[in-house]
Amino acid sequence: MSEGENTVAKTETKFPWSNYTLKLGRGEPVSTTQYVLYAVQIAAVIILSYLSVAVIPLSYAGISIFYFVYPFFLVFTMWWGAWGMLGAYVGCVVGAGVLVGTGPVPSIVYSISDLVPPLIAFVLYRGLLSKRGYDPLWRDLTDKEVAGVKTKRVGAWFWFILINGVILNIISAEIGVGVLYKFGLVATNGFWPFWIGWVVGDFVAMVIITPVLVKGLTSLVERQGLVNHGWIT
Amino acid sequence: MSETDVKARASKKYVRTFIFSMRTGTPIEKLHVVTKVFMIVVLSTLTLYMFDIPVSRGGPDFIGLGLLLVLVFSLLAISRTAKYLVNSYLVLSIPVILAQFFWWLFFSESLPGAKMTFYLWPGFFPIGVSTLVFVGTFVLVYFKTRSITVSLAPAVLLWWFTIMPSVLAHSSLATWIKFPLGGTYSFSLPQWSAYIGFAKALGYAILIYTSFLFLLTTRDVEIGGALRQLRVSFRKAFFVMLMFRNLNTILLDYESIRMAQIARASSVIRSGILSRMKDLAYVSIPLVATMIRRSTEMGVALYARGFEASKGMTNYKETKRLSGVDYSIMALLIAFLIYEVILGHSITTLFGR
Repeated sequence: MSEGENTVAKTETKFPWSNYTLKLGRGEPVSTTQYVLYAVQIAAVIILSYLSVAVIPLSYAGISIFYFVYPFFLVFTMWWGAWGMLGAYVGCVVGAGVLVGTGPVPSIVYSISDLVPPLIAFVLYRGLLSKRGYDPLWRDLTDKEVAGVKTKRVGAWFWFILINGVILNIISAEIGVGVLYKFGLVATNGFWPFWIGWVVGDFVAMVIITPVLVKGLTSLVERQGLVNHGWIT
Repeated sequence: MSETDVKARASKKYVRTFIFSMRTGTPIEKLHVVTKVFMIVVLSTLTLYMFDIPVSRGGPDFIGLGLLLVLVFSLLAISRTAKYLVNSYLVLSIPVILAQFFWWLFFSESLPGAKMTFYLWPGFFPIGVSTLVFVGTFVLVYFKTRSITVSLAPAVLLWWFTIMPSVLAHSSLATWIKFPLGGTYSFSLPQWSAYIGFAKALGYAILIYTSFLFLLTTRDVEIGGALRQLRVSFRKAFFVMLMFRNLNTILLDYESIRMAQIARASSVIRSGILSRMKDLAYVSIPLVATMIRRSTEMGVALYARGFEASKGMTNYKETKRLSGVDYSIMALLIAFLIYEVILGHSITTLFGR
């Protein structure tokens, strides 16, 4: 093995999460259990999106002041790659759109706002931050060490808040409220109140729910061999 | 479809839909799911267009929006699902529609037209349409809830909305007797703010009830059948079916977990908003764990039945063919869409404003 290949091999096995990459998968087809799981997780995101908008008071036209499905589809994307992103999009179209009466046409367009954050987060974590010592499954938010490797908790929280809570959240709000505004579902001078509601609602939900979800379930999902190695499997 | 299947289907009086159930044999039940999807897409596009016509081009198409709302309610009545809507979401949707009206009333940019006066209190106690609205709302909500407090709140709110516009407060048709009471408190807004608020509320009502029309009259299995007709592979069609079939199961799981949490006094011990949000977070673990367990079981069951090796699957027996009625409805909708959106006509201008 040449020196260059040796360095790559060392980098790839440096962390316990090095097998979670941006490849398509492990070169095997989706198993029946995974196939069912991906369909059921989309159904779960649809229901949670619906409840986030329909049950929480002061929610309006697909915008919720506590959009508690946001951390779910972020975590699902970290676990299940493209299937989590599909869940985020379909969940928003059906659950936070059609089911609460936003109408199919605006729902199909404004749901792009829920597709973009998990897509970018997945690429950033699996492609960049995992190689810098940050767990793409976010266990470093709650655990001091993962499989014997000491985690960088402060850094993990910093990137988590900056990427998901600030940058992606702002992009998501900009797309979502912007589309609803263009479709005439948000009043002319109501853009900023809704924009702020969107950002705060997603941020609060993300900070409260993600650690609970990661702490309680990531190990279980990984132990059962259900975490995707790449985008598809 | 075999003769036995046809007989079994004909003997069924009700079939399960996305939400609640639907009576079989109604004209809406006989429509193809593709027609229903096409219908909600066209109705939603028309609504979005109609309520967004700028003031410079004559403003929203009120009569067109009104006709669409009547059409949607007629379809709900024909499908015999209106009672489910009345019993469940109708009352819940009214605050959302009112919120839409008020957002547009107060958050529109400056619009042309004369100023219209709105009363916080008109300086007299009116007897008239507002009284009928109060009594009607109170009776309707009391009949459903049997709670005076719950009935009083929407009744007072709607009563107040009917005395707010000066045109209603001073019209002899709307206000029959006035009892002087206190001073007058009012504010003014451009006339168009109220018109646009009304059009948006009307349009939003159409969007909501059109969605419900689809959900109340469509079966998940119909979607699977339609996808197979559109030559989507069995695995993809079955994936979509699995997704829709599990909606109800997950909702039931969520409710059960919430109930278990309440049984453990979570809502008694914690009272703050943040604590309630944390409660919601703790629902997530059992919910996702249940979801994974159920998926594993279903996956094994499918595998045991030879799902991975299956080829040449039979079609769903609920699959229908597009009929002449389906084609006619789609043609009518396209004609309406061309008339309103592409040619830029308005039903309101047709009748003259």
